[in-house]
Amino acid sequence: MITAAWICLVAPLAATLAITLLGQSLSRRAAGYLATASVLGSFAAAVVVFAKLWGESPDSRSHASTVWEWLNAGSFHVGLRILVDPLSVFMMLIVSGVGFLIVAYSIGYMDGDDEERRYFAYMALFVFSMLLLVQAGNLVILLAGWGLVGLSSYLLIGFWHDRPSAVAAAKKAFIMNAIGDATMALAIFILIQHRQTLNFPDAFAVGPGHGWLVNLVALGLLGGAVAKSAQIPLQTWLPDAMEGPTPVSALIHAATMVTAGVYLIVRTHPVFEQAPRVLELAAGLGAATLLMAGLIALVQTDIKRVIAYSTMSQIGYMFLGAGLGAYGNAMFHLMTHAFFKALLFLAAGIVIHALADEQDIRKLAGVGGALPWTRRAFLIGSLALVGIPPFAGFFSKDSIIASALGRGWYGGILFAVALAGTFLTGVYAFRLYFVVFRGEPSAFVREHVTEHEHSGEGPFSMTAPVAVLAVLSVIGGWIQFAPVWHPVSDWLDPVAPPIATPSNTEEALASLFALLLGLSGIGVAWMLYGARRWSVPRYALGQRVLEHKFYFDEAYDIALYRPSVALAVGLKRWFEDPVIGGSIKEFATGMRDLALGTRRIQTGLVRTYVLAIAASLVVLMVVFVAVR
Amino acid sequence: MQGPEVAWYLVVAAFLFATGALGVLLRRSPLIVLLSLEIMLNGANLALITFARHQGDETGQIFALAVMAVAASEVVVGLGLIVAIARKRIDLDVDKLNVLRG
Repeated sequence: MITAAWICLVAPLAATLAITLLGQSLSRRAAGYLATASVLGSFAAAVVVFAKLWGESPDSRSHASTVWEWLNAGSFHVGLRILVDPLSVFMMLIVSGVGFLIVAYSIGYMDGDDEERRYFAYMALFVFSMLLLVQAGNLVILLAGWGLVGLSSYLLIGFWHDRPSAVAAAKKAFIMNAIGDATMALAIFILIQHRQTLNFPDAFAVGPGHGWLVNLVALGLLGGAVAKSAQIPLQTWLPDAMEGPTPVSALIHAATMVTAGVYLIVRTHPVFEQAPRVLELAAGLGAATLLMAGLIALVQTDIKRVIAYSTMSQIGYMFLGAGLGAYGNAMFHLMTHAFFKALLFLAAGIVIHALADEQDIRKLAGVGGALPWTRRAFLIGSLALVGIPPFAGFFSKDSIIASALGRGWYGGILFAVALAGTFLTGVYAFRLYFVVFRGEPSAFVREHVTEHEHSGEGPFSMTAPVAVLAVLSVIGGWIQFAPVWHPVSDWLDPVAPPIATPSNTEEALASLFALLLGLSGIGVAWMLYGARRWSVPRYALGQRVLEHKFYFDEAYDIALYRPSVALAVGLKRWFEDPVIGGSIKEFATGMRDLALGTRRIQTGLVRTYVLAIAASLVVLMVVFVAVR
Repeated sequence: MQGPEVAWYLVVAAFLFATGALGVLLRRSPLIVLLSLEIMLNGANLALITFARHQGDETGQIFALAVMAVAASEVVVGLGLIVAIARKRIDLDVDKLNVLRG
């Protein structure tokens, strides 16, 4: 079983190396097939591991394997250790399964791009990094995977490196993530000092005292999670990351990487449980993010950015769930979200692909008639996103909302915010659907659709993954229906026993409210954008605030960027140039003068040298005699 | 030991050495400079042999022989250089051979 887990981990890495080393001798198509096959191999291996683990008793489902110890410092050891337990297998299946569908989709989407080989090498590298992250058996390996996914995300956002905006977005994502990586590393240092081991789960053994230290560790880990998962206050990189190719947005910035923060909280839940205030902070941040992202999504006009804000909002729900201690529910939502968000992105990708890479929804309006199957797939994804039964989102999101009940006034606020979020989800998801797919085709669409009449909705490699994801978005949620059966929670509970288990009444209450609000959101969207019975309300101030994304970018610009630039300019003018540059110039001039002086001594006349030697000898003899 | 005192031998050695040194410092012809060098070496040799006798130890005499061998080789090289310089029709004047000036 461990062998299968290792195969799962290294297969994509092998594909990356092969594509990189073979270079031109591998055709572009073959690079795509190789990457896809390797990820499919990973998925098959993950299924094998899952099946083996399924057959064991719930208490013994945890296997670690270390191939190599590279750090031995006294009693502190760190090795290349992977851990196979229900949580990691759960993530392995999602990462490799959804990853396979999206890499396969890329074959069609990236067809004809100049640098397909590089693209597929990066994609396989990403899948490897993500698998390393979720299979890591200690915090150092997890951090290595964490950094590697950041790197592959950077490479893929900036894949079209001749676009300045893509390069800027890539840098922004990398720097925002580096903040989180730094806080995480600091947390890990504290753990090394106090626990002597970073292996799961021993690293989190409960120790008395050190209350503020535990809080510090939890805060550091939360910082990493917040940065990677684009939650307030480090959320600004995710919308810009949409500069990358659409399958990248689907895989990295929707289905897998951005959910790593949720995985981290669930994986390190003992630390957070010793620091309950930090856990509540995580829930609060999630709630704030889901509300804010939902509001911003209402006014965005770029099809991918709307979905990106929706991703932020949905990860907010997962943070809310994880922060409330409903780990199983958070992971379950992570899974269904991976299905329907990948579906939405890939369907949007078909639209973008068919219409000359246009992403502005005002130009894309009314494309549904030309792409009927894409329209249906998008509708399924939107319904799953809003959480309408029997689609996937209904089963996972409502359990999270229900967990907020029974946590006093704080839980009450979170509950209200989460419900408001479902209403917003209904509005923005169906605003997108109605604007893009319903109604009269715009002039732009009419112009481009005629060219595409022959090719249908895309090659098989693009339509098939969308179809599979559409099916999964419908049935994916059925594996857990909280009051009746809950295999996902049962599977994950030995790793992360939940602290919040909503009662059946609470579940029903939450579902009722969420469903009603979601439906009314859809209704509002229909009145505004579908039937157009109401005119879209205009509040100049509110709209401006939302279009500027609550001025986070501007605030960071004023609070951090400008002072840093001013400091750097000042240091250059008042310190670098006069002190450092000046002193080096002075030193150089001094050395030059010294050398010029020394040069005079060398006359080229043998007799002066001899005289110098004789005189020195005399001086030496005098000194010698005198000292004696 | 017969003959004059050790000091007298040393006085002669010092005189020879000083004569040679003055010759090296003051004369401009490379040929004379070489000759003066030989005189300096002989002064040193005389001192070596004197001390060897004084101490009753032959090591100093062996040194003197070695110095003679080296001096002979040195003269060969030096004369060879002087011949080469003369062939190039450059004045035989050490003060004019100053191309190594910094």
